[in-house]
This record gives sequence, C-alpha cells and structure tokens, in this order.
Amino acid sequence: MDVLSIIVAAIPVTLGVTAASFAIGALLGLVLVAGRRSRWTVVRGISRSIVEVLRGIPPIVLLFIIFFGIGSGSLRMEPFQAAVIGLGLVSAAHLSEVYRGSLLAVPKGQFEAADALGLSRTTTSARVIAPQAFRVAMPGMVTWAISLLKDSALVSTIGVAEIMSVTNQYARSSGDGLMPFILAAAVYIAIGTPLAIWSRWLEKRFARIRKAA
Amino acid sequence: MKQAESILSLRDVEKTFAGHKAVDGVSLDIARGEVVAVIGPSGSGKSTMLRCINLLEVPDSGTISVDGKNLDTSGTVSARDLTQLRRRVGMVFQSFNLFPHMTVLRNISLPQERVLGRSREEADRRSMELLERVGLQQKADAYPAKCSGGQQQRVAIARALALDPEIMLFDEPTSALDPELGLEVLAVMRQLADTGMTMIVVTHEIHFAATVADRLIVMADGRILEQGPPQQVLDDPQHARTRTFLSAIKDR
Repeated sequence: MDVLSIIVAAIPVTLGVTAASFAIGALLGLVLVAGRRSRWTVVRGISRSIVEVLRGIPPIVLLFIIFFGIGSGSLRMEPFQAAVIGLGLVSAAHLSEVYRGSLLAVPKGQFEAADALGLSRTTTSARVIAPQAFRVAMPGMVTWAISLLKDSALVSTIGVAEIMSVTNQYARSSGDGLMPFILAAAVYIAIGTPLAIWSRWLEKRFARIRKAA
Repeated sequence: MKQAESILSLRDVEKTFAGHKAVDGVSLDIARGEVVAVIGPSGSGKSTMLRCINLLEVPDSGTISVDGKNLDTSGTVSARDLTQLRRRVGMVFQSFNLFPHMTVLRNISLPQERVLGRSREEADRRSMELLERVGLQQKADAYPAKCSGGQQQRVAIARALALDPEIMLFDEPTSALDPELGLEVLAVMRQLADTGMTMIVVTHEIHFAATVADRLIVMADGRILEQGPPQQVLDDPQHARTRTFLSAIKDR
C-alpha cells in the first residue's frame, strides 16, 4: 500500500477524534459557562478553577494522565476513549471561555428588556440571549475546531491509529522520514482549509448582522 | 391624592450604588390613568427611580405597591412576585432593546406566548392590532435592523403594550432619536395617554411634558424637588435648582 492511501484511510479516525472531542467540549463548555455565571459564589469558584486547571495543563500531559494513569488502573480504557475524554476536557475549558466572551458581547439592554417583559430565566437564555451569543461565538468555535483537528495528532502518542500515528509507522518502516510527513501535513491542510474558509465567511456574515443590529 | 385611587405607590424608596445614593427616599402615588412626567438633571436619580418601579433595580429599602399589592423590597423578592409585578408594568427603554434576531412580529408575539400563554395565532393577531395602532403593520416581517430608530421605539411600545400592562414606564424614550423621529414616538405616546393609560415618563421633552402630562415631577440628588401641574411647575418653579435646570433646558 502506498503512503497516501494509508494516510487517507486514517482520516476517519482523525475526524472521529476531532468531532467527538468537540461535541463533548461544546456541551461541557455550556455547563462550565453556566457555572461561571451562577448566582452562587461557590459554584462560580469551582467552575473557574476547573477551567484554569484544564487550560493550565499541556494537553499531552492530560492525555497521559488519563490513558496511562487512570486508564491503566481500575478503569480500563481504549486509546480512542482516552483521547476523546482528554481532548474533550481541554475543549470544554476553551469553549467555555469562547461562550463567556460571547455572552459578554450581548448588550445589557437585551437582558433588561427580557426581564422587564417578565420572561423566565429559561426563556431569556434560550430564546433571547443564546441565539445572539451564538452568532458571536460561532467563529471562535470553528477556529477551535481547526486547532483541535491539528492537536488530534497528539493522540498518536497514546496509540490511536489516526493520521499522525500511521504516518509515523510508515516512515519508520520505510526509512523515508520526509515524504510521509509532508503528505500528512498536506492532508491536514486539505481538511482544515475548508473549515477556515467557512469560519471567515461566518465571521463576515455575523459581523454584518451585528452592525445592522 | 387619595390612597384608594392610586394604582402605584412608592414609599421611602432608597437605592445606593457604590456609596452614592441614587434614589434617596422617594415616596410617590400615581392615580389610575394619570400621566406623570419626570424631569431633572442627569444623575438626579430619575431613571433609577423608574427602574426601581419594575425592580430592574431592587431598592435597598422602601415599599412598592401596584394596585394595593405591597412589595417590601428590603428582603429578597420572590420570583413569583417579580413576575406578577412585571406583567402589570410595561417598560420602554432609551435604547429600544428590541431582540435583533427576531422579526418585528416575533418581538411582540413571543412575550405574549411565554408570559400570558397566548397561542401563536392569538398573539400574532394582537401584535398586528398593536402594530396598526403604532402605524407599522407593514413592518411586521422586517427585522429591527431594517427599521429606523423611531420605528424601533414604536415597536418597543407595541411589545410592552401587548402584555396588557396597567402602567407604562418610559425611560427617556426619545433621547437616542433625531428630533423628527422623536416626534413620531411622542405622537404614539400622546395617543396612548388619550386612551387612559397610566404612564410615567422620564424625559427631557419639556413640550411633551407640558402638553400631555397631568403632573410634572422635578428630581435632583435622588429626591423629588417639586411637583405639580406642568404649567405651574414650568411657569412658577419654587426652587432655585428647578429654575436653573429649566432655564438650561429652555436655552437649548
């Protein structure tokens, strides 16, 4: 098998790790940002600490802790599971910051208008605030997805057979240390570029809506 | 003013921000159907006083009662009391605060569905009625961004009216508008006053205050400086502060 088809065959694994980690991060990030805006000081403090700790650990260290540390003990884990949990946690911390910034961008008057109309907290969040915040958060979320796509190469270190892992194996066995990695780089760019273009398009589109508003 | 007639009463309402007394013991009775204009220099506490009425600012002390139902604000106000109060009191903001991601019609209908439990059809029907009343039925499907400031403010008025409030609060409703756009908003407010709506209007529009309001209140330093029929207050102010403020406005 030639190197390109080996790399292409690993694309689904890379995409799977990226997508699953992103999904976990997107949901957990919501929980974290809700915590950071809680009316209880303790909840705010805990949420903030979690974010700080997750952002303070290099992702590869977190992956090793989860896979070799926790995963080799009582809690048996497949490399893929450990990868997704690790990158999912990192994503949660990062995305919660993206959400937090986007919430700060929603004018105070929107909260006040909702309050004055007597809308419940849930209705205010779901129907008034979230849709506006989402527009602001969207470009940052896509940017994170692109970083995550590239950072997913890290999980080759815990034995997930994604692009980087299979490329490395091929390079070692074939003795060619240059071409396989250049091809891998090209594949990452080929996947990431459409995302980047989409992100810029979204950014422009939402900037137009915000200006008009 | 007899207690029995008043639809809204404030008693010794106080609100302090970071050591500064924004509202310093205001007591006020508003009669059903009365139109009250509140003027005063910026920082006089008039907007804060207004925002205390629907508890956008929770007063540090004092009571607020709407239609005889007392709310002691020194403790925590329950969510239920808050909703009860807010559904009876509508508010219009200086910056309109329409929801930019919803059409004009959705802006007016959504709160009716969520707060009053009206069906979508019922809410839309009521919204269209109100849009007609403020002269904007043709804008029903437009987004706020496609409306002028004056149109947005008229939509905001319709949105507040859609919840059938008993009292309408206006917080400098024309301050963010060009004078001519302000006029169309004032015309809608004048119409509303004619229907007998109880209104409290914080404003710098002296002409509106003089011709529409039943009572003019002058505030300074978080207190009510003086009040009375607009012509009387404007023509024969009792306080030096009022005279200085009025001449500053008139000279403009």
